[in-house]
Amino acid sequence: MIKVVYRIADMTCSSCPMHLEAIEDDLPGIRRIKASYQKGTLEVDFDEALLSEDQIKAAVAQAGYTIA
Amino acid sequence: MDNTIWVALITGLTAGGLSCMAVQGGLVTGSLARQLETEMQAAATDSALRIKKQKTPARHQLAKPILIFMAAKLAAYTLLGALLGLAGSVFSLTPMMRGALQIAIGIFMLGNALRIFNIHPIFRYFSFEPPQRITRFIRRTSKKSDSTVTPLLLGTLTVLIPCGIAQSMMAVAISSGSMLTGALIMFAFTLGTSPVFFILTYLATRLGALTEKYFMRIVAAALLVLGFLAFDSGLSLVGSPFSLTQSVQALLQPAALAPVSQAADPFTTGDTLGAELPAASGALSNVLTLQVRDEGYLPRRLLAPAGKPITLKLVSSDTHSCARAFVIPTLNLSAILPETGQQTLSLPPQQSGSDLHFACSMGMYTGLIHFQ
Repeated sequence: MIKVVYRIADMTCSSCPMHLEAIEDDLPGIRRIKASYQKGTLEVDFDEALLSEDQIKAAVAQAGYTIA
Repeated sequence: MDNTIWVALITGLTAGGLSCMAVQGGLVTGSLARQLETEMQAAATDSALRIKKQKTPARHQLAKPILIFMAAKLAAYTLLGALLGLAGSVFSLTPMMRGALQIAIGIFMLGNALRIFNIHPIFRYFSFEPPQRITRFIRRTSKKSDSTVTPLLLGTLTVLIPCGIAQSMMAVAISSGSMLTGALIMFAFTLGTSPVFFILTYLATRLGALTEKYFMRIVAAALLVLGFLAFDSGLSLVGSPFSLTQSVQALLQPAALAPVSQAADPFTTGDTLGAELPAASGALSNVLTLQVRDEGYLPRRLLAPAGKPITLKLVSSDTHSCARAFVIPTLNLSAILPETGQQTLSLPPQQSGSDLHFACSMGMYTGLIHFQ
C-alpha cells in the first residue's frame, strides 16, 4: 500500500473534491481517496500491485485538474 | 410581497443561477450526457451541438430530466427554507441577534466573493465542504441512468451540497424567524436560479467547467455588493452609528439635528392622522411622532428631551414596505405596525447627548432620536 499526497493547483470551488474523488470509480486499487478544497490537496492510498502513480496522475488530468 | 423575498428571487436570478450551476450543474449534465450517449449511440460525434442537430427527439429527452431535477430541487429547498425559518422562530431572534446574524451573512458573502476572486487560499474556509460520504453517494447516484428517478433523487439531494450563495440564503431564511417566510425565501431563490440553470444545462452538457471559468467573477462581484449590503444593514440593526446607510442619509441631510418643524417636513401633515405632530421648533416635547412610509421613516432624526420618558407615535398610512417592522435594537423593542394607523411605544428616559437608533427589521431604513 502506498500513500501519496498531491497539491492540486486548480480547485476552484467546494464541488471540486467531489469531481476529483470520482477517479476512484474508474481506477481499481484505490483504497482511500480524499480531496480537500481548503488545503488544495488530493490524498490517495492505493495498492501498487493494481495501480501505478502514473495512472492516478493521468486520471487527475483527465478529470480536468493539474497536479502542482 | 416582502422585500426579502424579492431580494432572494433577484439573487437567484443573477448570482445564484451561475453559482449553483457551477456546483450542481455537473451532476445533472453528467448524468444526462451518459443517458444521451446510450440512447443516441452516436459514437461518431462527441459534440453536443451536432447530437442535437441530428435528432430532434433529443431535445425533449434532454428537457424532461432537467425539469424533473429542477422541480425536485425547488421542492427540497422550499422545505429546507421552512425548516430553517422554523428553527429561527424557535430561537426567537431579538433585533440585536438578527443584526448580528445579518453581519455574519455579510461577512460570509464577502468572504465567498474574495474566495472566488482567489485573493488568498485562506478564503477557501468560507466554503463548507459536504462530508465525503454524502458526495460519494450523490456522485454514484448521478451515474445511474434511469431517466425519471435519477434526476428526481439528484434534485432532492442538492440540498446537501448547496452552493455558497444558497448557503447565504439559508442564513437569511433562519434570520427571517418564520416558517412561511423561510420557505418563501428559499422557494423564490431556487425559482430565481431556474432560468439560468435550465438554459445552461440545456445548451451544453459540459458547461459546468466553463461556467466556473468565465462567469464566476460576475458571481463574485454580485456577492461583494450583496455581502456589503447585508453587512451594512446588519450594522444598522444592531444600532451602530457607523453604517453606510446612515452616513449617506447624514450627507443628504446636513442639518441633521436641527429641531424638526412642521413646515420643514412635508410628511408631517397627514390629513387623516389627527393633531399629533412633531415638536415645534424650540420646545422639546416628550411626545414624538414618526411617519412610517414605504421609503422609510420621516423625519429621520428626531430631537427629544433627555431624562424623561418618551412617547413615540408611529403613524403609517398605506405603508406596505418593511418599514412596518419597526425595531429599536438597543432597547430590544420591536413592533409590527398596521398598514394604516397609529401605534404608540413608550421609551424609557435616556441620557443627555445620547442617540437611540431605530430601523426596520431588515436594517434597510434607519433613523435616530437624539436626546438633549
